[in-house]
Amino acid sequence: MEIVGFALRRLLVAIPVLLVSTFLIFLAVAKSGDPLTELRERQPPVPPHTIAAEEARLGLDQPVLQRYWNWLTGVIQGDLGPSVDRNADIGMELGSRLGITMRFVLIAMLIAAVLAILVGVVSAVRQYSWLDYLFTSTGFLFLAMPSFWLAVLLKQGGIELNALAGQTLIYTVGDSSVIPPPTLGGRIADLAGHMILPTITLVLINFAAWSRFQRSSMLDVLGSDYVKLATAKGLRRRTVLRKYALRTALTPLVTVIALDFTAVFAGAVVTETVFQWRGMGDYLLESINGRDVNAVMAWLLVAAVAVVLFNLFADILYAALDPRIRRVR
Amino acid sequence: MSADPPPVPATAATPGQWRAVLARFRRHRLAAAALVVLVLVALFAFVGPLLWRYGHDEITPDNSQPPSAIHPLGTDSLGHDLLAQVMRGTQQSLLIALTVALGAAVVGTVIGIVAGYYRGTVDALLMRLVDLFLTVPTIAVAAVLGHNFAGSGGGWVLIAVVLAALMWTSVARVVRGVVLGLREREFISAARALGSSDLRIMARHILPNVAGPIIVSVTILVATAILAETALSFIGFGVQPPDTSLGLLVANAQSAVATRPWLFYFPGLVILLIALSINFIGDGLRDALDPTQTKGPRRRRYLAQPAARADAVPDDVLLSVRDLRVVFAADGGDVPAVRHLDLDLRRGEVVGLVGESGSGKSVSAAAMMGLLPPTATVSGSIRFAGQELVGLAEPRFRRLRGSRIAMVFQDPMSSLSPVHTIGDQVAEAVRVHRGCSRAEARERAVELLDTVGIPDARNRLGDYPHQFSGGMRQRVVIAMAIANDPDLIIADEPTTALDVTVQAQVLAALRAVRERTGAAILMITHDLGIVAEVADRIAVMYAGRLVEVGTAAEVFDHPAMPYTRGLLDSVPRIDRPADEELWAIPGSPPTMTALPAGCAFAPRCTVRVPDCSTVVPELVPLTVGHRAACLRLTPGGEPLPEPATTTPIPERP
Repeated sequence: MEIVGFALRRLLVAIPVLLVSTFLIFLAVAKSGDPLTELRERQPPVPPHTIAAEEARLGLDQPVLQRYWNWLTGVIQGDLGPSVDRNADIGMELGSRLGITMRFVLIAMLIAAVLAILVGVVSAVRQYSWLDYLFTSTGFLFLAMPSFWLAVLLKQGGIELNALAGQTLIYTVGDSSVIPPPTLGGRIADLAGHMILPTITLVLINFAAWSRFQRSSMLDVLGSDYVKLATAKGLRRRTVLRKYALRTALTPLVTVIALDFTAVFAGAVVTETVFQWRGMGDYLLESINGRDVNAVMAWLLVAAVAVVLFNLFADILYAALDPRIRRVR
Repeated sequence: MSADPPPVPATAATPGQWRAVLARFRRHRLAAAALVVLVLVALFAFVGPLLWRYGHDEITPDNSQPPSAIHPLGTDSLGHDLLAQVMRGTQQSLLIALTVALGAAVVGTVIGIVAGYYRGTVDALLMRLVDLFLTVPTIAVAAVLGHNFAGSGGGWVLIAVVLAALMWTSVARVVRGVVLGLREREFISAARALGSSDLRIMARHILPNVAGPIIVSVTILVATAILAETALSFIGFGVQPPDTSLGLLVANAQSAVATRPWLFYFPGLVILLIALSINFIGDGLRDALDPTQTKGPRRRRYLAQPAARADAVPDDVLLSVRDLRVVFAADGGDVPAVRHLDLDLRRGEVVGLVGESGSGKSVSAAAMMGLLPPTATVSGSIRFAGQELVGLAEPRFRRLRGSRIAMVFQDPMSSLSPVHTIGDQVAEAVRVHRGCSRAEARERAVELLDTVGIPDARNRLGDYPHQFSGGMRQRVVIAMAIANDPDLIIADEPTTALDVTVQAQVLAALRAVRERTGAAILMITHDLGIVAEVADRIAVMYAGRLVEVGTAAEVFDHPAMPYTRGLLDSVPRIDRPADEELWAIPGSPPTMTALPAGCAFAPRCTVRVPDCSTVVPELVPLTVGHRAACLRLTPGGEPLPEPATTTPIPERP
């Protein structure tokens, strides 16, 4: 299968990139300070052998290159290493948090992409109409909007809406209710209800740039010779737009969305802190503050693998959409 | 957080051009206004604190005050004056963002130019480096590093360095893209041939030419940096208290949106205002640096004013154009593209429509196909097989297109859809106008591709255009044009984009098509050699007007209009001594917005008389069917004297 070979090659290319990036970040986090400061300074003092044992558990007594090597070999065997927090298992913790974050990131990206295509195509086809002006000015507004400010604004809106209604219409805090509803349907509705505001935030700050991009690539295609030739064949404008213009104008957006995945993820980190989700963002900030090297590394590894997989998916999609790419590589 | 701006084509950089860029930027009202706003914000941030009575870290006795005369933006719960804090926060944010942009610009430009210039291994390695930075969410790494530096008291400089180190990739990607395209251009090759060192070429020849794209992407980067810094400070890994930043101010106000809304809204709105102005400035710069992207006037439908016609069109005349005028609305006023064109085409006849680029020949063709852009106003009459085309309703026009009038475009590389198969595109041309099945359409497609000389047509139906050579693609386009046995084929420079040897093959295909289908062909070209080979009659256009028309033999043997003579003399010819200098018409075609009052060719004409610059010459009949527009010609009279060289039909090599 040619697409499988393509995918494998792409993954192989990503491996050296991952190695270098994990090494650099490992150095940065390891140098960021002593995770045991709090333990050392505790009053009354903790016995030195306890501290020494903790140092040995976390590998702090070894040189940093050795620590990276240990970490790397551990990761390959599926061991993400010990956490500063004795009771936490990094893998378990990340697994549940990844699920929480990805469920709104993916849905937000999907909605934002569909919205961007619609808005971009309509703006291009109806260039200089009032609709185009409306979309363009909203686009510029959200392009300039700080994500955290928008998140707080929406949260406040939700709170005021609830106050007006006298009951919780829309959840503004957390990723699910503390006491989950008993039924499965109720639980799904609960999760969905908590997702509304964070998802809207993420959609709004991302669709703007994408719709601007879609508009300009659609305009390029509309001015292209093959669209002119399709019209000269006697095709209906509707057919020309759908079959020739939209189809080719979509491919560049795929790349842009893939490249923007890290930005969406960053936006999700900020959005989560506002809505107090116990997701990836929360875990990152917690781990950095606790100088928990292994936790930060695991976080970055998961994020990097997600980026690589996402880019791979985009490459495959691109190859499926554009026959010129398929045979070249 | 934003997509890359579409790359701006490189503009050659001279001081005069930069002045023009500045002028265009000033005309971009929104961008100019945004620049004013940004300057005001900068004054507010850098000069304001010197004038304002409270310091940003000063604790006043008035805590949690709403906006008042004493505290125009109110105070926070500790009694800090919010105006002073917002000024300080804006200052910090702007300092960081500008430093980031500057740092990213330097690093990104150097890496982008080196990667694009050396290509190969260097490029591959540097692009892997870019990948590295794209693999990890910037904010996470910035948070890690920001946490590292938080205790060190480095303040805004360290944050700026961290963000710049993470954000140079966008500049590098844009620059590399432009340099890759630039490297093959003549002036770079010339510099290399002259022995300039690589460093000198990059600094002196490449850098000025990527300045435009760099300026645009760095401007946008300032906005991205502001948003990144405020987000970083918001989550607690950026600017640290007791200093403040706009992001930190919003973070502190999070829980007080309802009780002390001023604390939340003012800093947030300042961020929004800054980012918005920068984006508008970036937009204005992009338009100013790339004049080809200037937005046209905003009209949505082209206007058609058909002229009433009393004359009867003879039966054997397929296409009869009378007094055709096409005017484009543009920012600088109306631009006439076609002025009073009269032209007849008989059934099965091949007419060569000749002229320099900008003479109006392609626009005339677009008018005949109903493919004029929305900015056009067309008037006059185009009678095609008894039907008036000027002002014809779109659904009826659509039924003519591709069935009775077909078109072949100039560049076969771009006129086929890259994502649809050849078979699909040809069969579609058949199916649009015939209610036949897919299988029948495919059979017909094979037949058509055979006709135009595509070898092994049946097995190539599933191939995509990129698997075909240029000449083969043009044959495919011709196959599509003849799919429904049209009465008229308009070929707009069908061979210009092709190699000379391929040109001959494509012309042969067109000739074969004409013999088989009996279609009339309007061959638009600036290449007289092609016309000589295929045309029955020749029509010459200059500055939107028909200046000479006649049989091919008449026009080549006795060119009457001085412009036609100039054209013929400027063709390289096999029957002339090799060392004879090629004649070139002096001067250049007039600007269509500033046409001379009389004959448009007068300023370049070697035989002009004073009247030429005041009187517009009409077409004068010379012999049967041969007419030319020149004041010095008299009906049926003597040909012009001087620079008379008899001009036999040129042979193509």
